Amino acid sequence: MEYIVRTENLSKHFGKEKAVSGLEMKIPKGEIYGFLGPNGAGKTTTIRMLLGLMKPDSGRIEIFQKDLKKERLNILGRVGSLVESPSYYPHLTAKENLEAMRKILGVPKQRIAEVLEIVRLTDACDKKVKGFSLGMKQRLGIAASLLNNPELLILDEPTNGLDPSGIIEIRNLIKSLPSECGMTVLISSHLLSEIDQMATTVGIVTKGKMIFQDSIEAMRMFSQQSVLLKVSESDKAWRSLLGRGMKAGLDSGIISLPQQSDEQVAEAVRGLVADGFSVYRVEEEKRSLEDIFLQMTREEQAG
Amino acid sequence: MMGKLLAAEFMKIKRKGIWFLTVLGPIGVVAMQMVNYGVRKDYLFGQNDDRWGYYLDNIHSFTPLAIVLGIVILTSFMSSIENETNAWKQLIALPVSKMSVYLSKFTVLSILLLTSSVLLMLFTMAFGLFLDLGGEIPYTGLLKYSFYPFFAALPVLALQLWIATVSVNQGVPITLGILGVILTYAGFTLPDWLIWKWPLLLNEWNEPLINVLLGIGAGVLLYTAGMIDFARRDVK
Ligand SMILES: Nc1ncnc2c1ncn2[C@@H]1O[C@H](COP(=O)(O)OP(=O)(O)O)[C@@H](O)[C@H]1O
Ligand SMILES: [Mg+2]
Repeated sequence: MEYIVRTENLSKHFGKEKAVSGLEMKIPKGEIYGFLGPNGAGKTTTIRMLLGLMKPDSGRIEIFQKDLKKERLNILGRVGSLVESPSYYPHLTAKENLEAMRKILGVPKQRIAEVLEIVRLTDACDKKVKGFSLGMKQRLGIAASLLNNPELLILDEPTNGLDPSGIIEIRNLIKSLPSECGMTVLISSHLLSEIDQMATTVGIVTKGKMIFQDSIEAMRMFSQQSVLLKVSESDKAWRSLLGRGMKAGLDSGIISLPQQSDEQVAEAVRGLVADGFSVYRVEEEKRSLEDIFLQMTREEQAG
Repeated sequence: MMGKLLAAEFMKIKRKGIWFLTVLGPIGVVAMQMVNYGVRKDYLFGQNDDRWGYYLDNIHSFTPLAIVLGIVILTSFMSSIENETNAWKQLIALPVSKMSVYLSKFTVLSILLLTSSVLLMLFTMAFGLFLDLGGEIPYTGLLKYSFYPFFAALPVLALQLWIATVSVNQGVPITLGILGVILTYAGFTLPDWLIWKWPLLLNEWNEPLINVLLGIGAGVLLYTAGMIDFARRDVK
């Protein structure tokens, strides 16, 4: 597989604290890679290293299958980024802010109007950024990251501080990038719901370590579903199921059957009815990704 | 790459009052002598037969202070441009080397200070002609008094830029700057090795060119140290 980003054993510490340790990140071409982890997990530190803003203590970074250490400028010319809270020059207008970056990137002038249009800031383009709302500043930051038509777009918590409609807008924009522009996107967030709605591949990081990295489908599979039964005399009913040699749990009057095939569920219900219990409800428990995420991080901490 | 970076830097100093200060500095220095000669022209004319030379000496009594003060204010303004919203991370994530970013900042500051020097020369000459000092215009002296202080002040510039760029707390460069201005003000009484004294163009051999050469030498050293330190550090 062609990886746009690949890190090997990437580590960085601040004082005694290990912010990133032994991180192996693999981002296939054309994916929206959701980089997920609680605050302080090391997402921003990783991203800073990918952009050459920080030097790793150890490990290797390959972007576009080139060594970042050796070909930093070449690589960065094909990358767009927005790291943490947006940076801007408050005394300049939105257009001038982009112009200052455009001069360095050397892209055609018309690109400024294009990216302003993409983030819908065209009307405010001649206003000083000083007076912008946080959402507008964030959108300006995204516009800046798109200036050079990057092949890899790195966005660190881009929806932080946006209102709900702004979040949806940015989300739709990001989702459209891989198909429309052939971009690969790395987007970090501490909110699973964010990643869930955008990402095609997920990397979960906690305490500087990658604890899961796979497609979003694989992550959903991780959610082991169980079937819940509400019955009369739940205690006796549970015992009768166990007596029939079935795996079952009992929690506050609800019987749960972990990971059963349709046939096994049918058999359990048939058994219960035959033994004279009333079956009131048969439900599938769908665990949210939030639950899975919590479980993964908890397992990591326990282990 | 430098051309592009410089174009971007000049764009960024718009509306910061930086150009205004660049012009204000030399006006201030010459204005002091306008007051001085306005109040006691006859007395001053009587002090020395070489009226042009005496006039240039008077002008130069304020130039070092103005240039050191100017350096402190301009470096502080320049670094505030990136520090205000931590735009360093955005700038350094562009396809530019950190060394060239640092060089572009230094170059812009040098260009501004050289502009001040050119203006100082023009204003000095204009007011000198207005005073009708008589005799030949001493072009060599005019050039020396306008440009030597800049070169002699290069170490101060390099040091202020270095400290202002790498300090998280901007109180540090400001404090150092104020200290520097005081040292320049009290320069006459201080030892020759202090870089803040150099713009006064004084030394025991009575040869201002020594200060210029020392300034360039020490300036290059401090500039290089600052650039290497900046490149080595993680971006804030
Ligand atoms: N410049 C820094 N100096 C010291 N510690 C830092 C620095 N940057 C980050 N850290 C620490 O490293 C850890 C990871 O931080 P960060 O990468 O910002 O996490 P995230 O972006 O996932 O919230 C945190 O514990 C944070 O306090
Ligand atoms: Mg972060």
